Parts: sequence; C-alpha cells; structure tokens
Amino acid sequence: MKKDVVIRFVGSAGDGLVSLGTLFGRILKKHNLNVLGFRSYQSVIRGGYNTYQIRFSRDEVLSVGEGADVIFLLNKHVANLHKSVVNKGAMVIYDSDTMDLDEFDYPSDIVKLDIPLVSITKDISKLKILKNIVGFGAIIQILGLDETLTKEVILEQFERKGEEVVSTNYEALDKGVKFALENQWPIIWEKHKYEKAQQMLITGNEALALGMISAGLKFYSGYPMTPATSIVHYLTKHLPKLGMIVKQTEDELAAVGMAIGAAYTGARSATGTSGGGFALMTELIGMAGIEEIPLVVINSQRAGPSTGMATKTAQADLFQAYGASHGEFPKVIIAPCCVDESFLVGREALEIAEKYQVAVIVLMDLYLSEQIATIRKLDMKKKNQRYGIENNPSDKFVRYKITKTGVSPRTIPGTVKGMHFTGSSERNEEGTSLASTLAGLPETLPIRESMVEKRMRKLEYIQKEFPEPKIVGSDKAEITLITWGSTKYIVQEAIQELMNEGIEANQLHLKYLNPLNSEKVIEILSKASKTICVEQNYTGQMSDYLRMKTGINADAHLRRWDGEPITTTQVVEKVKEVVKNE
Amino acid sequence: MSDEYNYTIKDFESSFRPTWCNGCGNFAQWRAIRQALIELELLPEEVVTVSGIGCSSHMPNFLNVFGLQTVHGRGIPVATGIRLANPHLTVLVYGGDGDVYGIGGNHFLHACRRNVDIITIVSNNFVYGLTTGQASATTPVGTITRTTPRGSIENPINPITVAISAGATFVARAFSGDLEHLTYVIKEAIAHRGFAFVDVFSPCITFNKNQTFNYFRERVYKLEEIGHDKDDYFEALDLSNQRFFKEKLPIGIFYQIENKTTYEERDFALNQGVIPAHADLELSDEQIEAITKEFY
Repeated sequence: MKKDVVIRFVGSAGDGLVSLGTLFGRILKKHNLNVLGFRSYQSVIRGGYNTYQIRFSRDEVLSVGEGADVIFLLNKHVANLHKSVVNKGAMVIYDSDTMDLDEFDYPSDIVKLDIPLVSITKDISKLKILKNIVGFGAIIQILGLDETLTKEVILEQFERKGEEVVSTNYEALDKGVKFALENQWPIIWEKHKYEKAQQMLITGNEALALGMISAGLKFYSGYPMTPATSIVHYLTKHLPKLGMIVKQTEDELAAVGMAIGAAYTGARSATGTSGGGFALMTELIGMAGIEEIPLVVINSQRAGPSTGMATKTAQADLFQAYGASHGEFPKVIIAPCCVDESFLVGREALEIAEKYQVAVIVLMDLYLSEQIATIRKLDMKKKNQRYGIENNPSDKFVRYKITKTGVSPRTIPGTVKGMHFTGSSERNEEGTSLASTLAGLPETLPIRESMVEKRMRKLEYIQKEFPEPKIVGSDKAEITLITWGSTKYIVQEAIQELMNEGIEANQLHLKYLNPLNSEKVIEILSKASKTICVEQNYTGQMSDYLRMKTGINADAHLRRWDGEPITTTQVVEKVKEVVKNE
Repeated sequence: MSDEYNYTIKDFESSFRPTWCNGCGNFAQWRAIRQALIELELLPEEVVTVSGIGCSSHMPNFLNVFGLQTVHGRGIPVATGIRLANPHLTVLVYGGDGDVYGIGGNHFLHACRRNVDIITIVSNNFVYGLTTGQASATTPVGTITRTTPRGSIENPINPITVAISAGATFVARAFSGDLEHLTYVIKEAIAHRGFAFVDVFSPCITFNKNQTFNYFRERVYKLEEIGHDKDDYFEALDLSNQRFFKEKLPIGIFYQIENKTTYEERDFALNQGVIPAHADLELSDEQIEAITKEFY
C-alpha cells in the first residue's frame, strides 16, 4: 500500500474544478489526513485545460507531488490533452458514456477505469453535475475512505440546498462506490480507523487574511488581480462581522492610497495585488516611507513581465520589492513559505508596520497564495498592543522628533493639540517642508541628513526583532540548498529523498529578506561546502541579492521560469548533478 | 457648542507662511477655507486637509489642522481612506487642475460616483504653475504655453459637466477674485452631506497671461442671482456647458442633491456605527467562530 496518494482532477474552466477539488480536500480532511492541493489553470472563464491536484498522507505533505496515482478526467477535450502527461501505473477514471480512451492513444502502462457516469446519473436526477459525485464514490472506494465520513462532508456542503439535494448526492455517492466494488476496481489505500479531524483546510491567501485579522486589520483595499484577489473575496464575505472596511478601488494607485489614508487615522491597514499592480503602487509606498505611515502591501507574485502568464507562479519580484519607489527609505520584505506561515506573517507585518511606522511588503507567490492545505488550528486570539500613538500631546506636538530608534510618536486626527503637517517632502522635526523656501539653505543640509538617518535607523532595530536565519539539517552536509518563499518544503522533501540515497544536504531558508541578517548568512554560507540557490525565476534574483548583501556567490543554481512550481525531482536531480561534478 | 466656540481665523493658520507668488489666487482660498471652517464651528483637530503636488497643493502647510500632502494626483484616494476609517472627520482635498483633472483624473471620476462625504476644492489656473508653465487639462485650445509654443491643440476638460455627469451630489464653481462668494460656496460644500466639488477660477499671475483676474471679473456672474434651481440636473448641465471663455461664466452652486445616501451610509460596517480608526483590535469568540467555520 502507498504511503501517500496523489489524485488529479482534469477538466476545463466551467467544470467546477475548484469546488470539486475543495470538496475532495474536505473529505480527506474529515478523515484527519494531511492534504496539500494546487490548481493549475488558464486565464479563461470557460473551456481550456485545468488540473486540480491533491496529495494526501497520514504524514506531513511537503509538496503537491508529481505523477498522479489517480486521475479523474472530466471531459473528452481534456482527456485528449492529458495523455502526454499521464505517468506509468496511473489509474485513469473516465466516463465511458462520453469518451473512449482508446481513441486517444493513451500509453499502455496505465490502468483504465471506465464508468458510465451519464447513465448512472440519469437514473438519479436531471442534474448532470451529479456525475462528479458518482465519480467521487468510485474514488473513495479505491482509496478505502469511509463512506459515512464522506457523507458528513456532503451533508455540510449541501445542507442549505435542502434535503432532496443531500439525498440525491448520497445516492450518487453510493452508486459510485457500488460500481467500483462490483467491477473489482483495485484498492490502493488500506482502510484505516480515522480519528475526528481537528485541522483546518485553508489556502495561503485565506491564512494570510486571518493573520491580518487577528492582528487587528481594520481597512483593506484592493483592485482585482490574480492571484491576490481571493484575499478581498474572503475579507468581503466577513466584513460586517468584523466591523472593517474592505474597499474595491478604481486602480492600484487608489488601493494603496486609501490604505495609507486609513493607516494615517490609526486603523491598521493593508492592500494587496500582484506584480503589475505593485508596480503602480510603488510611488505611494515611497510616500508612506517618508511620511512614516504604517503600511502593509502584499505582492503575490505571478509570471511577468506585463501580463506575462497571469495564472502561473513565479518568484521574480524580489528586486521590484527591494527597489520599490525612488529614493531611500526603510522597507521591510517578508516572504512566507507555506500556509501556516502566511498566517503568522500577516500578523507580524501589521505589527512591524505600526511599531516602526514603515512599509512592510509581503512577498507571496501564486503557488503559495492558491495552494490549499490542512493545518493545525490557528490561534486567532491575540492581545494586540498599540504602538507609538500619542493621545494627550503637550502644547506643541513635534511629529518627527529624532529618536534613538528612529521612531517618533504620532498623533491621529481627532487628537486635541495633535495637529501637524505631514508632507511628502523632506522636513524638519516639526514637519515643516524643506522642499520649497528652505531647500538648500546651509542650515537645512544637516536636517536632511539626520532625517534620512532617523528613518533608515529603524532597520537596525527591526532586524533585532527577527529570528536569525539558520541552517536546517546536518552541519556536515555536502550540499546546502538556499531557498526563499514557497519552495521551502519542496526542497525539504528533496533533502529527505536524497538522504535515502546516501546524499546529505541541508537548507538555508530565508524568510526575512529585508533587513537581511547578512552577518549570520555569511557565517552560515562560509561553512557550507557547496551551495545551490533554488528559485522560480530566470536571472537568479536571490543569488544576485545574496552576492550583493554578503559577497558570496552560490556555487550552483536551480531556476525554473516556465510558470509551474519547481518539483522535488528537479531538486534531487540538480543536487546529484552537482555532487557528481565535484 | 456655539457658546464655547471661540476659534479665530488666526487659530487655523500654521506657523509656516505661504510661499505663493504675491497676488496668487490661492491666497483668497486660504482665507476662505479658514473662514468657512470657523463659520461652521469646526475644531482644528477634527479637520484633515489632503493635497497632492503643485503650487496649490502646498495649502496644508499653511493651515493649523491635520495636514497630509500626498504625491501628485493622489489626494482623493488618500482622503477617501481617511474618511472611511474615521467618518467623524471633515476631510478636505485641495489641489490644482493638473493634480485633480490631469494625473488624478481617474480618482476624481470615481469620487463623484462614490459619494463619500469629502470635499474637493480645485484651484484651477489653467496651467501648470510649479513646473513653470505647461499646458494642463483645462488649458483652452490655442493657448501658447511652454509645451504648446504653437498653441494647444487639445480640447480642455469641462470639470463641472464631468462632475455632474459622474454623479457628484454637490458641484460648484467660485472665483478667487470674489472672497465673499468663494467663502459662501466653500462653506456650503463643507456642510454638504456627500461628495462636494468646487472648481475655483484662480489666476496664476506668473504663468498665465490669459485667464487673469480681470478676464474673470469681466465675465463671471452668480447663479444665485439668476434664480437657478440647483436641484435641476438638466439645467445644471446646460449652464455648465455655456460657451467657455467666450461669453459669460457662471459661478455658484450648479447642482446639489441633499437627500442622496452617502457611501458611508451604504457601507455595511460604517452604517452600524463602526469607526475603524478607533475599533477594538481584539476579536470575540463569536467573531472567530463566524469567520473560521468554513475551514473546519
């Protein structure tokens, strides 16, 4: 029996692939199994070729997996397209009423499992979509999953649509189970006794949103852009319960502008977008920087430049984030690696932003934003501390007072005697602009100098808040893999596989990209025997960034820029290649 | 309240002196805004002025209220964020024609339709002043400027028509050469419930030799004096379209509807009395349950 199973639904936009994948994920979660799912799709509303792949195990699931053990083909069009990517031994389930797999020249080393879905469904209901549930029945039978637990999920899903819908779905499921049983379909996963699930099934973006909510998010603005839009969808659904503002704006300039305005009043605020929208936001990110207004900006990276491949993943905005806006100001960049961590980073980002009155950029990527995973229950209860807000200023409030940490107390509108001017120009401590009549006067030059220093100094203190980067795995490894963002666990899985083959590798994963603890990174990398930098881009932005910050060159590189996530196999092969060439 | 209110025009003045050219139309607006705030008995700490970039956008520097200058064209979205996060504040956007109609034009359109209760005052001098005299979105055809040495070949925008068509609930025009009327219009704009927009003919004495104080003095007449019915949408549109720069130019309130619901009244959090700026950051167990149920 297998240790874990990869199941892949293959369909077109309009086939309900997302609901199907999510429903199946929930069935697995009900069985207390660990799940990781990811949808690969195109920028079309109807038609096309999409897949939803789910991997599950009783152990931790580190990647969404490669070859599928079970494939469920949802229509004839995709059945034809999918033949070239079917791996050896895969069980391919398809509707024998609407397609004949023999027509398509599928490889002979697969297991064809045909089931007359349309005829079975016709006997139950007029609703054609029910054929997918019949298919689910057959699938749970070969996976040895529990019918009662599965029905609990179906009940939860369709309860509000009425009893009849629930019972027809039950019947569809039963018929699917029965068909697989009667036709002696192979069973690939032994029947277990399942404990009651305590986990959550949630996407990276949703976890990030929950993290921000638990940190007191009160204002979120955004303009629709894949793959950041689902943050707005989730927040909008719940905004009346949360007493918060969620604003769809006319463009990304307005999105970041409104978030800054709201933050200026004291509301914890954030905005989110992808690379193209982020490019539009950058001028205002610089403004938040010089005006010292707390701001969180999420950039869920996708394949660019320009429209690029709108529904495909990338890690190619590191330099865009690092270089965002002209001039110099303290800018924090944090890249979460997985769904759990997205929650923590969402929380941390709002806190750091307020505590240091800085812009915090959260670098997600499509693979992370859209992956769905089972995680332990998130701790939403948090005592949130307020930072730096002066409620009772004395007679003359000095907004930009030069302090040791660079952080000055601020007053929010409505505060008696708190009035001050905040300009986008350089200023003195009182806030008076140095840009017009005072610009260039001999006495203003040192003021400009100390104002820049004051702002930049914040980074030293922010860095102290962050845990030091550390090596995961053996100190004596012959290979050190350097990663950032969503590739972390894919690489960890590869390290485990390599260990089985007698190759020892360890990992330096970077989460806090700016300020970067260069000293510690140098210490780690100088001890490493050979390094490979793994990233989802063409130019090797992280390698370049590390060279710039530490003077150290990675010895080898694994880069992927075709829009799909790097696979465990790619990492394993790269490491073997490097080891062999030594 | 009225008995205790003793702020004077001086109290709304910051310690930084205006840097505009002597004779600039912006001075009248500086005065009118402060006068209107006092007449409406507003407290300085409850007023926020937001601007973009340009000569006029220096305004928040010179007022003793909460002042926030943004980057070019972004006053409106930043002000919208301020107002939505704290609807107790009076939020006033102040900018020039380049700022609001040019680079920030998209935000202007959406502010009109959105009807968030903010005030936008545009100091319209028909030219880019701070960058030393280039054509703007309101520069008339044929005008010679440093970027149009053979005369501008683009048609200008008609801000009043645009605002009315885009759904603004208060649309007015004033003239920096008539302080009393300017103060009246600004005061009405601030008092208006919903998005209020005032275009102000405000001559640039350095870079615009066409639209001067005298030019306007000869042409303006007050809508209040001709018995215009300001809730008549079509009459307002018609008046706004009267031939520009040739004949008479109406000033005053073109259009106002007072009973239209504002964005704040429609918003599902704000209409329950929530003030995001002051809201409790902790979540109750019920809230946590409600927003995480779907993940279990």
